[in-house]
Amino acid sequence: MSEIALAADFAIIVVVATIIGLIARQTGQPTIIAYILTGIILGPVAFDVVTDEGLVELMADLGFAFLLFLLGLKMRFEDIREILPSVTNVAFGQTVLQTALAFLVAVALGFETQEILVIALATVFGATPIIVKILTDKDEITSLPGKIDVGVLIVQDIYLVIVLALFTADELGGAADIASTLGVILVMMSFIGIFSLFSSRYILPGLFRRIADNKDVFLIVAIAWAFLFVAVAEGANLDPKVGAFLAGISLAQLPYSKELEDRITPITDFFILVFFATIGLQIDGLSSLLAYWWQAIVASIVLMVGNFWIMFYLIDREGFDVETSFLGSINMVQVSEFSLIVGALAIDQELIGPDVLGYLSLMALLTMGVSTYIIAYNHAIYERLEPWFRRFESDDTTDAEIGTYEDHAIAIGYDEITESALPMLERKYGEVVVIDRQTDHVEKLEREGRYEYVFGDFRHTEVRKEANLKGAAFVLSSSVEREVNEALLEEVAEDATVFVEAERITDARALYDRGATYVIMSTHLAAEKISEYVELYVTDREAFDEAVDRDANGIEARRRRATLGSDDHGGADDAEAGDGSDVATDVGSDETPGGETHD
Amino acid sequence: MTEQLVITLAVVFVTAGLLSLVANHFGLSPIPFYIIAGLIAGTFESVTQAEIIVLAQWGIAFLVFVFAIRIDFGDLESVLRDAEIAAVTQLIVVAPIALGIGYLFAVSLGVSDPLRNAVYFTTAVVLSSSLVGGVVLGSEIRDNLVHGRLASSIHFFDDLVAIGLLLILSTEVVTADAIAAQIGYGVLFVVAGLLIYRHGFPILVRLSEGDGELVLVGSISILIAFIAGAEFVGLSIVVGAFAAGVAIRSDGTQSLEVRNGIDAITDFFVAIFFVTVGALVAIPSIEVLVMASTLAVLVLVMNPIVHVLSFVYEGYDARTAFLAGSSLNQVSEFALIIAIQALLMGTIADAVFDAIILAAAATMVLTFLGRRVEDTVYEYVVARIFRRRRTRKVDDRSNVSDLADHVVVVGYGRIGRRIVETLEELGQPYVVIENDPVLWDELNAECRNYVLGDALAVYPWEKAQLADATLVCSTVDHRPLSETVLDLETDADVLLRAESADEAGELLEAGATHVAVPNVLAGEQLVSTVEELAAGETDAKTLEREQFDYFDALERYGFASRDERI
Repeated sequence: MSEIALAADFAIIVVVATIIGLIARQTGQPTIIAYILTGIILGPVAFDVVTDEGLVELMADLGFAFLLFLLGLKMRFEDIREILPSVTNVAFGQTVLQTALAFLVAVALGFETQEILVIALATVFGATPIIVKILTDKDEITSLPGKIDVGVLIVQDIYLVIVLALFTADELGGAADIASTLGVILVMMSFIGIFSLFSSRYILPGLFRRIADNKDVFLIVAIAWAFLFVAVAEGANLDPKVGAFLAGISLAQLPYSKELEDRITPITDFFILVFFATIGLQIDGLSSLLAYWWQAIVASIVLMVGNFWIMFYLIDREGFDVETSFLGSINMVQVSEFSLIVGALAIDQELIGPDVLGYLSLMALLTMGVSTYIIAYNHAIYERLEPWFRRFESDDTTDAEIGTYEDHAIAIGYDEITESALPMLERKYGEVVVIDRQTDHVEKLEREGRYEYVFGDFRHTEVRKEANLKGAAFVLSSSVEREVNEALLEEVAEDATVFVEAERITDARALYDRGATYVIMSTHLAAEKISEYVELYVTDREAFDEAVDRDANGIEARRRRATLGSDDHGGADDAEAGDGSDVATDVGSDETPGGETHD
Repeated sequence: MTEQLVITLAVVFVTAGLLSLVANHFGLSPIPFYIIAGLIAGTFESVTQAEIIVLAQWGIAFLVFVFAIRIDFGDLESVLRDAEIAAVTQLIVVAPIALGIGYLFAVSLGVSDPLRNAVYFTTAVVLSSSLVGGVVLGSEIRDNLVHGRLASSIHFFDDLVAIGLLLILSTEVVTADAIAAQIGYGVLFVVAGLLIYRHGFPILVRLSEGDGELVLVGSISILIAFIAGAEFVGLSIVVGAFAAGVAIRSDGTQSLEVRNGIDAITDFFVAIFFVTVGALVAIPSIEVLVMASTLAVLVLVMNPIVHVLSFVYEGYDARTAFLAGSSLNQVSEFALIIAIQALLMGTIADAVFDAIILAAAATMVLTFLGRRVEDTVYEYVVARIFRRRRTRKVDDRSNVSDLADHVVVVGYGRIGRRIVETLEELGQPYVVIENDPVLWDELNAECRNYVLGDALAVYPWEKAQLADATLVCSTVDHRPLSETVLDLETDADVLLRAESADEAGELLEAGATHVAVPNVLAGEQLVSTVEELAAGETDAKTLEREQFDYFDALERYGFASRDERI
């Protein structure tokens, strides 16, 4: 078993990162900070027990590739279409202005020419993981400022991908070299990009429709897709991570992307931890980190303030109101984790020394740390400063309203229980969102075009967020899995009406305890009904015949409705194969073998 | 260096992805296809380099980790009760035969430690795969069919046996002392896992303050700590991973997220593991092929026969026994783990290793193909063999007096019990047909007339005096059974249960008098309850009180499930 010893470095990183992560959690710091600190502590700066070679390097690389894949997966054009023009303007302006600012600051602080260029390109503001994580925790990711930030970050990411590609290109001599490298990169990227868009239109929908129901195959094929692009990019001498990003984009446009995001996120979390730790590992000792300590502090302050005003000016210019502009800007005042990536790459290319990476790292640590608290208290800060910021108020604010579900009804699982309730729910709550994990159900909903739907397993966080479970006024779950229903009851708003299904009486009691409004028990219901019919049969044959006829007509009517709803979707085999367990399809040998034949 | 590793992983995943598409197309488990992907990817030498093998070992660790997380210790006893006789019988009967054959092979190949290699051969024969079996039996387990329950109990039993074997086989030199030390350490590890389950894990959850990512990373840290501990005292990492899985709580509010996380990471590494296993196989020689096919035949033929006989002996009807037995005919993924660990320790001969892997891939695919023909095999072979015995068995375990104008109730679950209650109240004669011998005591105590037998066969209906019945009421939602009931030669009216309105419509057209669809009933009740709530005719408090009264009533009359699993 000596082989595992090879992985010891990696094992130490994970364990130490957990401990520091738990401590960081107590102080409200984001986990990223904890991971970078882990690297600093384990690396040359402090104990020097771990090196970033072999498996650690592989895992860090995988982490980064998965992060970009995940980022690509989040790039759904339709999510930001309404505000896309404004966002593009903001992102473009922001990229140019803050690079200029970073350039000026670096010049003023007296770095060398090559270092200044690297610093200017590497100092990008807006750390996607931090902003997304904290805003999601605060439930503000779907608010207007949140959407603007996410939009800007996405556009920025495209810029970063180009910068990264530039840095990974092998030789950069003069301006002509840079131009030709850039040209090759752009051609290659557009080639792969066009292939990814082409496949997202013509290849992937059919492919994933077949496999989306099988969660293991679904994940492995998606990962294979990412690796395919990675290999192609590697073959074309591009940064393989660019390939991962483009693979993500091509999958993002599919209706199954939310579900996929939820399955890729943990893998990313796992590897990215190693990645952030290796950033810390790369700092060549405490002297590097503190080599430019006062410059880093000065630059942090200047850039945070400067970048806030750049963003504020740009967002305000697009005609959003002051509060939106303020919040959208103040969320973005930290150096992106990409600075460190670009910095690390620049070290590989011997463009800068470890001291400059130390400068970038210190700046990232400082701004990320401070901004965590700023984002957490962004509303409180705005309230304090509101009177002063009022002066920027203009009359023609054009706040684009972003559609999110609110006070709506959610149905979990599209089966005969929920189906019959949907029209009534639509009448009462206006908007109905169905969550289902089966492609044929989702297709049926799409054909009908009447109700909104989210493809995915209700167990997954992203899926619940997409349907805005917290804002729902009515939730109906046709899953009989107690853990699913308990998670549901945990998350819904206090005053929401919640109907859930249960198979066992003990489960039903527990669900009532946790606040369910009503627990449906279809087996017991059927038992009542059938025994009632048996009684009628024995005691009053006429009444039995009448009741039976009535039910037969009801079933006939239901079938007709179903066939009307789905023209080409017939056949007893595939129609309604699902039952209450639709939402959670993983029935494996691992589960307690349950029940008996006759029920 | 890293670039090459990334490319290697790309090769691993792209071949695995392509072949899993094939598996998906035919509705098969992807696992044998990962192994086949490995056989293909093995032509790239880089796939078997040290780093990839380390990743594959992580796959093993996560596989066992997840297995242990999912064990519900409260349920352990009742799960194992189903399986113990059949599983133990199979071990006692099959293991010596396999050991003998394996020993002969090992000696004829001239390997250095024939007995040990024979043991590896035996594990491959005896153990069956819960991962593959779970896919094979997917719908049976979902529909709560008896044979699905039986088979998955055996799978579970086999997995536990495998963990025990790994504990013993991870010593390089097998002596009584070494084994005792291994078992001692193993027990200590599991106890440590249980302690963390009780005291450590809740602290982790509290400190994470609801942050799922931290609980996830913390869980993996626990895994790493246990693996490191296991390595330190010279145990198999599998034992460490098992104990770590014991330590993880899978209840609580963040558990969905954490389990989803662990599952996704597991899927990632497990794919690497199976592909690597396949890649480690060399181009097989004739000896290897002979050994692999012998192994496959033993698994595909001898295992099911022994299982079927012991199930029948336990009192299950021939069909249930056959269906359960025939889904236990594949090599276990644990046999692969045992084999690869042995390979890393250098205690298994290459030929034996190759044969086990090849036989595993072959049986995992064949078990699915076997499903397609099992009904035919049953009708033409098994049913004939057991016919005489079957009627005698049904006679032995049934209790029917002379009946006329009676109701035949199929199934004695919750619905069946409710109907019997009603019929008892009305004084109407009835007979229950049920195939689960676990319910025999209950039937005996509570039903006037019952037949313990397979409602898909002919004789139990004869025994239930169908010719004189006035009503047949099937409470089982299983299409083949519903069709059998409709095909019966009888004038009796037929009440059935179906999954969907569509199916109900078809059954009505086929001649059913009435078909109950629980989901439709629930849907109707749902709509009317919501309307009542909206109109202010009732409120949540009242609803809850009414339901609780109803539950109390159900429990008083014994309609609630006394045994959680029935």
